Amino acid sequence: MSTVPIGPIHPVLKEPLRIKLVLDGEKPVDAEIEMGYVHRGIEKIMEGKHCHKGIHLAERVCGICSYIHTMTFAECIEHISKIEIPDKARYLRVITCELERIHSHLIASAVYNLSIEHETLAMWLLNVREIVMDLMEMISGNRINMSYNVIGGVRRDINREMMDEIYKKLDEFEEEIKNIIEVFETGPLIALRSKDIGILPYHEVMRTRAVGPVCRASGLPESDWRLRHATYQELDFKPVWRTEGDNFARMMVRHEEVLESVRLIRKALEYYEECSGDIRVKAEIKGGKGVWKNEAHRGEVTYKMEITDGGIIKRIMIRTPTVMNLEAYKYMLKTCPTVADAVSTYTSIDPCISCTERSIYIVKDGKEIPVGVKHP
Amino acid sequence: MIKELFRKRSIHVCVVNTGGCNGCDIEIVSCLSPRYDIEQYGIYVHNNPREADVLLITGPVTLQWAERLKEIYEKTPEPKVVVAVGACALSGGIFKEGHVIGGVHKVIPVDAKIPGCPPRPSEIIETILKVAPKAIAMREKLIKEKMEKNEV
Repeated sequence: MSTVPIGPIHPVLKEPLRIKLVLDGEKPVDAEIEMGYVHRGIEKIMEGKHCHKGIHLAERVCGICSYIHTMTFAECIEHISKIEIPDKARYLRVITCELERIHSHLIASAVYNLSIEHETLAMWLLNVREIVMDLMEMISGNRINMSYNVIGGVRRDINREMMDEIYKKLDEFEEEIKNIIEVFETGPLIALRSKDIGILPYHEVMRTRAVGPVCRASGLPESDWRLRHATYQELDFKPVWRTEGDNFARMMVRHEEVLESVRLIRKALEYYEECSGDIRVKAEIKGGKGVWKNEAHRGEVTYKMEITDGGIIKRIMIRTPTVMNLEAYKYMLKTCPTVADAVSTYTSIDPCISCTERSIYIVKDGKEIPVGVKHP
Repeated sequence: MIKELFRKRSIHVCVVNTGGCNGCDIEIVSCLSPRYDIEQYGIYVHNNPREADVLLITGPVTLQWAERLKEIYEKTPEPKVVVAVGACALSGGIFKEGHVIGGVHKVIPVDAKIPGCPPRPSEIIETILKVAPKAIAMREKLIKEKMEKNEV
């Protein structure tokens, strides 16, 4: 038995993480995942700060899914202090959130295609993604880390010209992405590298608590928290799901969710046109405790917080999806014949390490040093 | 001589995330897309510090990374250039009060800094092209002079 370390710096990984693969010949038998490289103590910094400052920190929990974190943060506070936000803001939130979901799923798909050595598709996907990035820049003013949400609504409104542009760009985008999905679905070489590899069966989903597209690819559509969100219910959202549970199913769930997102954006824009009034209300923040859950691009994200009157954060707990999905990775390894497949299976769960790291201990010379004590 | 002349348009880049929020990393990934096409300028992103000329460092340096970053810096062959990408790598940014050491300059010497949260892909490409060829050529000259005087 030999071990192969992958990371923390590796061509396939976007983020620092070390996976130690235990090999029997060429077949991976077990994996040990070493995390803790990107722990910054966000929850600790937020304590004692006003929530208008806290929302910027919540945005930087993760750069890829930055919008959904601010949305959950804002909705959690609105839930605690019972603020009703205007209809316009609700639809604008859905539009931006779905745009970001498209960009996140496309980058996940591009990285997966790079890891199965299909560079052409990866480049196409990255190029199509730029259309979505342009739309996000037009709506909010920045490509990533948009600071679009505020407590009680959103920061900027869109006008008629922007709406026409969104409709036009979406048509262009949908045509291209349908072509790419067809290539992915019918490609014989892609099927060889992804079908029946990294299977997570239905009965093991329960054991690993996997969430998001990983879970939906194994036949659990009710894991989508958008089903429980009032605005999405209004927009008649239907979850995408498959039953195979292999790498191919996980990527196809993401691809079909992109198409579903395009449909949701169109519908939300139609509803938005009928609304009138403000995009933001004056928020009077009352103290209390509360929990709010939302469907991030990788699974459910939970914010549990306690605030005082006026909006100082007493305690906050953020739970992000990747920890559960990384646990599921160990079960997927049973059906990975080679190391290369183990790497592509890793990218197929779309891990986001920046989200993940909440509390750590640094182990130095066999002694545990809690973080926060000055580093020697 | 080699880097001055022939490898001016063959810059190998290693991206190191020292605890950032991923925002800068995906902007570097979008540099690969055909719209920006980083490879037409002769820049190749391949994440191997032992072959790299340029280290692109994103994010504040977290406590766990402090020694690892020094190791990676030592692994990279001379002449090398360090570029700090994003507000966090400049000064610690929004995470200054957290469990971080601060900017990259506190751990290793930095040649160029790109502000922004995150900087646009075009700015990243522009900075690498402006800094890397000249700095690498200059450093190679210095190393050569030292070798001639038998100082190294």
